[in-house]
Amino acid sequence: MRYRTAKLLALTLSGALLLSACAGGSGDSGTNADGKTTISWLNIMHTASPPTDTVLNKIEEITDVDIQFSWIPDASKEERLNTSLASGSLADIVSLTILENSSVRNALKAGVFWEVGPYLDEFPNLKGISQDMRNSASIEGKLYGIPMQKQVARNGVILRKDWLDHVGLPVPKTTAELMEVAKAFTEQDPDGNGTNDTTGFIDRSDLVFGAFKTLGSYFGTPSGWAISEDGKVTPEFESEGYIQAMDYMKELYTNGYINQDFAVTAKKDQQEGFAQGKAGIYVGALFDSKGLFNLAQGVQDDMELVMVNDITSTGNENDRAIWSTSNGVGGLLAFPKSEVKDEAELKRILKFMDDLMSEEVFTLMTYGIKDVHYSLDENNGATIINTKLWEQEVQPFSSSRPNENGYAIVDADPLRIESTRLIEENTTFAVLNPVYSLESPTFSEQGSELQKIITDATYKYILGKMDRVGFQNAIDTWRKSGGDKIITEYEAAHRAVLNNK
Amino acid sequence: MRESEPSVVSLQHKAYRNTGLGHYLRNAASNKLLYLMILPGFIYFVIFKYFPMGGLIISFQDYQPYLGIRDSPWVGFKHFVRLFTEPTFAMLLSNTLILFALELVIFFPIPIILALMMNEVRHRLFRNSIQTIVYIPHFMSWVIIVSITYVFLSVDGGVVNEIIAALGGSKISFLTSPEWLRPMYILQIIWKEAGWSTIIYLAAITVVDTQLYEAAEMDGASRLRKMWHVTLPAIRPVIITLLILKIGNTLELGFEHMYLLLNSLNREVGEIFDTYIFTAGLKNGQLSFSTTVGLFKGLVGLVLVMFANRLAKKLGEDGVY
Repeated sequence: MRYRTAKLLALTLSGALLLSACAGGSGDSGTNADGKTTISWLNIMHTASPPTDTVLNKIEEITDVDIQFSWIPDASKEERLNTSLASGSLADIVSLTILENSSVRNALKAGVFWEVGPYLDEFPNLKGISQDMRNSASIEGKLYGIPMQKQVARNGVILRKDWLDHVGLPVPKTTAELMEVAKAFTEQDPDGNGTNDTTGFIDRSDLVFGAFKTLGSYFGTPSGWAISEDGKVTPEFESEGYIQAMDYMKELYTNGYINQDFAVTAKKDQQEGFAQGKAGIYVGALFDSKGLFNLAQGVQDDMELVMVNDITSTGNENDRAIWSTSNGVGGLLAFPKSEVKDEAELKRILKFMDDLMSEEVFTLMTYGIKDVHYSLDENNGATIINTKLWEQEVQPFSSSRPNENGYAIVDADPLRIESTRLIEENTTFAVLNPVYSLESPTFSEQGSELQKIITDATYKYILGKMDRVGFQNAIDTWRKSGGDKIITEYEAAHRAVLNNK
Repeated sequence: MRESEPSVVSLQHKAYRNTGLGHYLRNAASNKLLYLMILPGFIYFVIFKYFPMGGLIISFQDYQPYLGIRDSPWVGFKHFVRLFTEPTFAMLLSNTLILFALELVIFFPIPIILALMMNEVRHRLFRNSIQTIVYIPHFMSWVIIVSITYVFLSVDGGVVNEIIAALGGSKISFLTSPEWLRPMYILQIIWKEAGWSTIIYLAAITVVDTQLYEAAEMDGASRLRKMWHVTLPAIRPVIITLLILKIGNTLELGFEHMYLLLNSLNREVGEIFDTYIFTAGLKNGQLSFSTTVGLFKGLVGLVLVMFANRLAKKLGEDGVY
């Protein structure tokens, strides 16, 4: 009797093991029941939920591929990508948007992914990727995936035009004028509701994509690093512009011209706050204007927006500058060798990538289906006709587009046209990160840990909890904990590049 | 009890003295069912607790997932040197220990007091409803609790600050000041866990011999006296056991909770081992280094448990092993 029980138990246990073993077996690329190629894609999701099937089916039809998405929310991309890399649970295509992350970089350098450089010219659309873009996206001269081509510099200032009119101020052209506007928006009741419930700026806990870095550009801060004529590398936070930008933010904070909890405010709360009329100045990506405007519908129907991209601290047109978002490289779409087994399979996937860059698929991923999501006028101008549906079915794909520039169909929305024009104009004044394609092992390994020292100190300075001496001490700590090593490594890498030329 | 049995035990010992292993096997053979019952737990510990410990080996390597343990380069004590020489180390250790001490001193007694108080409530319906109400927060996730706190304490329109302002005070930036992090952290734990933690104490109280209370009453003891001299001593072993277990979890301060509260301005008092391991290991992919931090954390916990256990034994209690 007892013996039989044990046997039964053993049987059940081994059965369970077998089952779990089976579960681990799927997920390989191959063909599905209808003979279509199945391609899995570990992708980043910037929206609250993944897209529904409507547009996906269309894309699958055009590309003749069965796409299996695994979505990673943008907020947790670092830990999710790292755990995927560490455990080897990857997909045929992996969206690597954090190339500066040490484990991603190590994985790329260790040859986990296919090098695609030699294959690009075989495909009509991929061939069009410029040499500059290829160089920027390369690591030690090798291209380990299809670069996601973004705008070079997309940031600027978005203001409430109706509030400006109400307080009688012109669109600001200098940082001093911008301060005036912030003051007026805070103190002069710009929404005319009789209570003192507005601030000038509304910002979020992000020193890069929030207001700080853009303001820094207006004060002439380099983007990340600066390399002098004689090859000396210095970090941005040792520049005069950085200090001035901190002082500017500090003035905003002390006078109450900015939301007082900006250091703990999430992007969503920031945008909703702006849409609810809590503040009138938003610094961020210029194309956010449309999203803010949509959000405000039914809440702040009077909202009129104006975008500015030519603010300087001096008032001199020649000093215009705007930092570049990773030099226009949004990341790499990379193909792990563990999933993509041979060259034939790689070429199949590259073909798929090539198809994604076609006008037809780009339109699908950007505007959706004609007359369902958007309508087209005679000038190839697209107007979104069903915003709700577009947000559900189309918007999530926007981050999957390998390329965002240079297509025939353009958005006919006035805010979109304007933001596209300004972002285009930004390219001329873009400040690139000079060390972007240089290697520093210490930066790869400890860069983000070290950056925390500076980020924390910057916040403390802005909130008045630290003075210049304290900030200088933080820089010294940074230098001692590895910063000096990073600088030496970058200088060596820079010299090596110069000598090769 | 123990004193009366040694003869049997020593007899067995004598019989199998020379064959230690054989003794165990024979013993096991005669108690098959008992061992079978232990088996699932045993397997669980081997697979999920002991087997993964092998992974600690990577703290002596520069581990790269695609190279595996076999091919990753060995670096000796490099990561330990980095851990102990980095300025963050002192901060991590002191933050962790301070929070742990606060939790022990402030939070630990609260469920006991709460249980004693609930035990005194005679009205059954009232007592049950109170119990239910204090249990509820336990079932909420930290995300929700921290978000609620955030909404209440924000400087930009948070209720608490609005009240302070209305009363003529100046607004306090609770969320960004280092001095408010610890009170906030402990209060949130009390709010969430105090009720739930009373369960075990209440259970222990129900088994106290009622004759003891009757005898105490005969002697003219007041309610407070009964509580002090009967109830508390009766649940003393439970308290000690829970205390040791709690100390064992010392450095498990609750990653999720702290991670949600952390920001650039309170990091100096809020960064603890768990959050540091997460950012260094999972976000920045320094697997070997974060394993080293984890190993160190585990060692500190082990030392503390052994210390607490010895202390318990000195105080005449049983301890956990």
